[in-house]
This record gives sequence, structure tokens and C-alpha cells, in this order.
Amino acid sequence: MSQQPLSDVNAKVNDQIFGKDKKNKNKPQNNNNLKGNAPEKTSNDKLTEKQLRKLEWEKKLKERELETDVKSDADKTLSKAELKAKRREQQEAQRQAKTDKSKVIEQVPEKPIVSKIAKLPPELPYLNTHKTPLKKSFEASRTNPKQVQLVKHLYRIPNLEHQSKIVNFKDIHPVFVRLGVQYSEKVILGSNARALALLSAIKTLINDIQTPSKQEFCRYFQAILQSCTDYIQDCRPFAVSMTNALRAFKHQLRHIDTNHSDNEKRAILLEFIETYVRNDMLKAWDAICMKVNEKILNGDVILIYGCSSLIRRILLEAYKDGKHFSVIIVDSRPLLEGREMLRRLAVAGIKCSYAIINSLSCVMKQATKVLLGAHALLTNGSVMSRIGTAQVALVAQAYNKPVLVCCETYKFSERVQTDSFVYNEIGDPDLFLNIDTSSNSNPLVSQKDNNKLNILNLLYDVTPPDLVTAVVTELAILPCTSVPAVLRINAGENSI
Amino acid sequence: MEDQEVQKYFGTILEKETHVSAGVAAIRTLMEVIRQSKCATVQELVTNLKKAIDSMKNANLPVAVIMSCCELFLRFITLVGLDGGSFNECKEVMLSRGNLFLHNLDEARGKIVKFSSKFILDGSKVLTHSRSRVVLQTLYQAFKQGKRFEVFITISSPDNSGKIMYKELTTAGIPCTLILDSAIGYVMEQIDFIMVGAEGVLESGGIVNKVGTYTMAVCAKEMKKPFYVLAESFKFSRLFPLNQQDLPAEYKVGIFVAFIQICIKCYFQYTSAIRKTDLKSAHPLVDYTPPSYITLLFTDLGILTPSAVSDELIRLYL
Repeated sequence: MSQQPLSDVNAKVNDQIFGKDKKNKNKPQNNNNLKGNAPEKTSNDKLTEKQLRKLEWEKKLKERELETDVKSDADKTLSKAELKAKRREQQEAQRQAKTDKSKVIEQVPEKPIVSKIAKLPPELPYLNTHKTPLKKSFEASRTNPKQVQLVKHLYRIPNLEHQSKIVNFKDIHPVFVRLGVQYSEKVILGSNARALALLSAIKTLINDIQTPSKQEFCRYFQAILQSCTDYIQDCRPFAVSMTNALRAFKHQLRHIDTNHSDNEKRAILLEFIETYVRNDMLKAWDAICMKVNEKILNGDVILIYGCSSLIRRILLEAYKDGKHFSVIIVDSRPLLEGREMLRRLAVAGIKCSYAIINSLSCVMKQATKVLLGAHALLTNGSVMSRIGTAQVALVAQAYNKPVLVCCETYKFSERVQTDSFVYNEIGDPDLFLNIDTSSNSNPLVSQKDNNKLNILNLLYDVTPPDLVTAVVTELAILPCTSVPAVLRINAGENSI
Repeated sequence: MEDQEVQKYFGTILEKETHVSAGVAAIRTLMEVIRQSKCATVQELVTNLKKAIDSMKNANLPVAVIMSCCELFLRFITLVGLDGGSFNECKEVMLSRGNLFLHNLDEARGKIVKFSSKFILDGSKVLTHSRSRVVLQTLYQAFKQGKRFEVFITISSPDNSGKIMYKELTTAGIPCTLILDSAIGYVMEQIDFIMVGAEGVLESGGIVNKVGTYTMAVCAKEMKKPFYVLAESFKFSRLFPLNQQDLPAEYKVGIFVAFIQICIKCYFQYTSAIRKTDLKSAHPLVDYTPPSYITLLFTDLGILTPSAVSDELIRLYL
């Protein structure tokens, strides 16, 4: 986890450099054989030395990261920093070797992940010293000119292997294969739904798994689970909710008493998942519903954005309680999730109006409260949520309306992020092309292959804490700056 | 103890000892309830205590302080490890814990005074609102330390509690000026900082205080003057109002009556008026100041930023 930002910065810098190269040389680049690219890559590095120096000069803070890159092309003069970088590289390589080794022992060789690692030539020490995500973004940035410069580090390689559904995956349970497809096809949407789906898939895995003789159940299970989750991660990056749920499960897996029989262990693990779902999700939702209910008064006009399962539940509960309020649903392209929300609320009988985010400043005047869902709450109090949420919060702040973010504590993350670029997810840019207008001559579609046109579809954004009045969690209504305090409590509980 | 007895006991403490804050008086009443109770189980005792708290809430006094203080008291004496030993032993443990709690309450003000008097410098001009015991003590202390400063006090109608504060300060020899409530904007540019007390400190880090505090805070923010709040930690309460309207009605009514009770002259005339008044058309005698207007809170737990209040509350309650 701690490595992530570092490598991100690395990737960013690399992307900048290579992006410029591409423009200078105007050379068509080949994705499939990385080996062929290898010598070219070093020459690129030499060519850009000047640029590198410049960057170094400008970004003194990033100096260290940069030098690990510079180091790879040649051993010239060994400065202090370079020595340091070298040491770090060695350590990293050792670690890599270790993990590779363990993988080889634990897993069947035909695994797709392993084969992908094998694809990378071992004579490239530069590439080998870094983690997989960097490799991906690195490769991707060199190949696709249709990517937006600023967020190049976020692109992932479309993995053709995984997208064809016929392929038989050894070591990956069919439930996970299906789940991966559902994630990537956006059949399962929303961080709560995704976390629930993951947990239920793990449950199936627990039931189905057969430990080979002479293997300890938990260890074997851990290995299998790792390969499954790696596959899922390839389909779509984990949501924070999923990461947290998985971490809690793994913690339990590690701390299980080895003297139990396999079936007992199974029972314990299943029980753990049940309680996790019950306590951290279902009960949390009920508690949040109650807390928000107290804040909804008769005559309120509540503005919501997108389609959050939790918000829907809250509104339906409040309506059941006999509160008289109306709802403004603000929606945005391309997913238009708000329509589903509108349908469900209208079916329940709640008075709704529907607006597109463009008209936000007009409808905000009528609202009395803003309710927002969240993807994750970060340690600095920022709220990570569906793209557009920050805009809604900003406009609400401008109109002095209270903004309530509803978020279960299992979505709290110890990450810190101040902008939406460091970590984000990129959706399918083609979604923007499909506007259902009456005329077929859609300018975006006709210009689709234009090299000058880069479409960016980011999925999340980060709302700074000063735009949020309060966060409603199952523990209490809190200011969003007290995320660290809650995380401390949760960490304390887990350690017991 | 019956409800009426509780109220009477509570009332006499407040009448006889004017320097005692309502919170302390409430705790002393609860201690008396424990002492006199003839219950046989802890459960019963706790229910009795809760009943007593309810009756005190209806005693026409600042509800914010009483509620937060009693809640903390209940947690402090009952919730941790009472098992083992007979009921009488448990009662003893509770009483000794209660005494400790009271002791802490008494010390709280002294700690705040120690922290905050350092912030008053030679030649500074302080603006304060209404009457607050802890602000008064702080100003005394700073004066005793030989600092020369000037105080501006709002009259703070309708009970004119600012006048009482003014008298107290002038008898002590501190130079001070009484200003109109509507003159806050006029004096704001010449003062150095603002010090106010609080009825209650809420989860958000905001405060509930005598009406006019919010006006003062907004004005101070605009003129970029630091806004300090002096409040003991027993005033912390787990409420999160989103705006003025969202403040619980009992806070508003209770304090409305309470302030009027202080100026006994208009007591009868006002209470009858309140019973009839719909709060929507009138305004209560307290307002809520959101955390973004507060620079620092001086408490017996230390000098806190508004966001740290919630952390402390989480520590206390969860």
C-alpha cells in the first residue's frame, strides 16, 4: 500500500517523458513484443536525459523517485542518491524474487498471472524491479495515443485473455470468473453491491474448496483466494469497500486455530463472513437510516446525486415513517444511474423531480438538504465518490445547504488523497459517444478516430472536507475530519 | 427521591450558590439521589437516575449543560466494571467515582483559566458576549498577572446579563465598556480577539450559546479576528445540528426560560408568553455557532481545534 504513491509518481514522470518522445520521434510503437522494444527504450532514456535533468531541477521533491529511473540506463558517476537508489533496487528485486518463488510453489504454473510475468524479459532489470501496476501503465502509455496525458498512470491494459469468456482458468473458481465479468461489464455496480458479491463468492469458494493431502487448509485457501482476487483485480480495480472486506477476511484466515478440522475451519470462516455482512453492512445501514431519519423534517426538499443503494434505503425508510418530503434527483451522463433511482422512488410514491447535473445551480435553490453516498472516506476527511459528487457539494456549499455524506465505517480508508488524479479509475471512453439523439450524424462518433480527440471518462472524484457538513456513519454523525479517530477505534477492535 | 424533591434540591443549590454552574448542581443532585435511594439493584438505580435527570430537564434551566453533564456522569459511574461484590459495595464504588467526577468538574475551570489567560496579552482588547463564569475567571486571572487590557461587553438583551458581567469586572478594577448588541460590527475592527463561554459544545465542534454569539462569530470571521470559546469538557454533547433549525427544540425552550428566570422581574410575564409561543415565529434565546467560525476551544482537556472535539467525544463515548 505504501508503495503505491511512489510508483504512481514514477509512472507519471515516465509517462511525461515517453509521451514527449513519442511526439518527437513520431514512431509507431508495438505493443506485443516488449523484447523488441527493450533497446529502443534505453536509447529513449539517453535522448531524454536533458529533459530529465530539467524535470529534476523543477521537481526537487520528486528527485529521489526520478533517480531510480535515471539509474537504470547507465552506471555513470555514482552519487549518493544513486547509491541509495541502487540499494533500494536490489532490495526490491530480492522481494520480487521471494514473492515469485512463493507463487511458483503455491500455484499451478498455467496461471494467467504467472504467464504474464513470464512475458516480461528478465534482462530488463528496470522493469523487473517494479510492481505489476507500473508495468501495465508503462506499457499502455507507450502504445495508445488516444490516452489523456494527465492520467496516463491510471490506464490499464485491456486483458484479452480475461475478456473472452470461454477460456478455462485453472486455479480460479468459476464463481470468480463470472464475478470478474460482471464487474468489468458493470452488471454489479456500486461499492456495497460489489463488496457483497465478493463476499458471497468467497463463501462459495470456501464451500467448494478441497484441500490436497498434506496441505493446511488455510494456507492452501489463501493461495487460491490470492489468485482469484488477482484475477478480479485485473477485471476491475478493487473498490475500497472490497479491499477492506477482503482484508478483514484475510485477517480472520490468518488467525484461525490450526488444530481445527477442515470443516470446522470452514464453519468459522463462513460464520465470520455472515457476521461481517450482518454487522458492518446490514446493521450499519439500519443505523444510518435511523440517524438520517432524525435529520429529515417534514417539508424538506432533499437533493441526491446518482444512485446509491444506501440513500435509496434511507429515503424509502423515511417515507415509510410518514415524513413528508420531496426529492430532487440529479443525474449525469454517461451511466444515468439516477433514472433507476427515480423509478424506484416514484414507484414507492415519493414526490420526485429529475434534473441533469448541468442544471444543478438552478435546482439547488429549492433544496434544503443534500444527501450523498460515498465510495470511500479518506483519512484526511476527503470523500471519494462517483464523479460529479464534488461538484454537487461545491454548489451546495455555495448555496449554504447542509451536505450529508452517508458512509459505513467499513468504507473508511487509511489512504490520503487531495485530488482525483493520483488514484482513480478510468471508464470506457466510448460511453460518451453514444448519445441517443435523433440525428445519426453524431460529431463525436464521426471524430472517434481523430488522433487529436482524447476522451476521458473518470469514474471517481474527491470532495474536500470543507464542502461536507457531516458524515453519517453507524457510530454517529461526525464531522469528516474525525475519520482517523474512527479508524483508530476499528484498528483497536480488530487487534483484540 | 420523588421528582419534586429532586427539583427542589436542585433548585436550592442553584439559588444558594450562585457561582456553581448548572452542570455541577445537577451532578450533586444525582449524588444525593444515589445516597438516598432504597433500590436493591444497579439497574433500578440507573433507571431512578434517569428519571431524576428527566425531572431536572424540566426545571427551566439550561438543558444543554445538564444533559451532557448527566450523560457523562452516568457513563462514568455505571458503565465500567461494577461486577463483583454486593449492591452496597457497588453503591460505594459509584459514590466514590461520583466524587471523583465532581472533583474533576471543579478543577476543570481552573485548568481552562490557566490555558486561556496566556492568550491575553498586554494592551489587548477583548470582546465578550453575555456573562460567562469561566470567561470572568480568566479575565480576573489575567488581571491578577498584571496584564493591562480592555474588555468590551455586549449588554446581551433580553436578560441584560452583560450588565452583571460589567459590574463584576468594574468592581475588580478591569477597564471595560458596555456596548449595545447591535454595535458588535462597530467595535469589531478595534478589538484583538473574542472570548465567549458556551452552553454546550457539540459533536461538530460548534457551540450552543446565548443568542447573538453566532452574529458575533460571523462578524469576527469577516474581520478576521480570532474567536475563542472557553468551555469545560462536561459540556460536550453528542449532537450534530445541521443548521439553526435543526437544534433540538428542548434546547431552545429550556434555555429561553432559563435566561428569563435570572431576571426575576419579568419572569411571570415571560413564562406565560413562552408557553404560548410557537418557536417557528419567534426565535429562541440560544443559537448554534458552526465550527467553521471558531478558532480554538479552550477546555480542560487542552486547547482544541473544533475538529478535535469530535475525536474527544469518540474517545469518551465509544
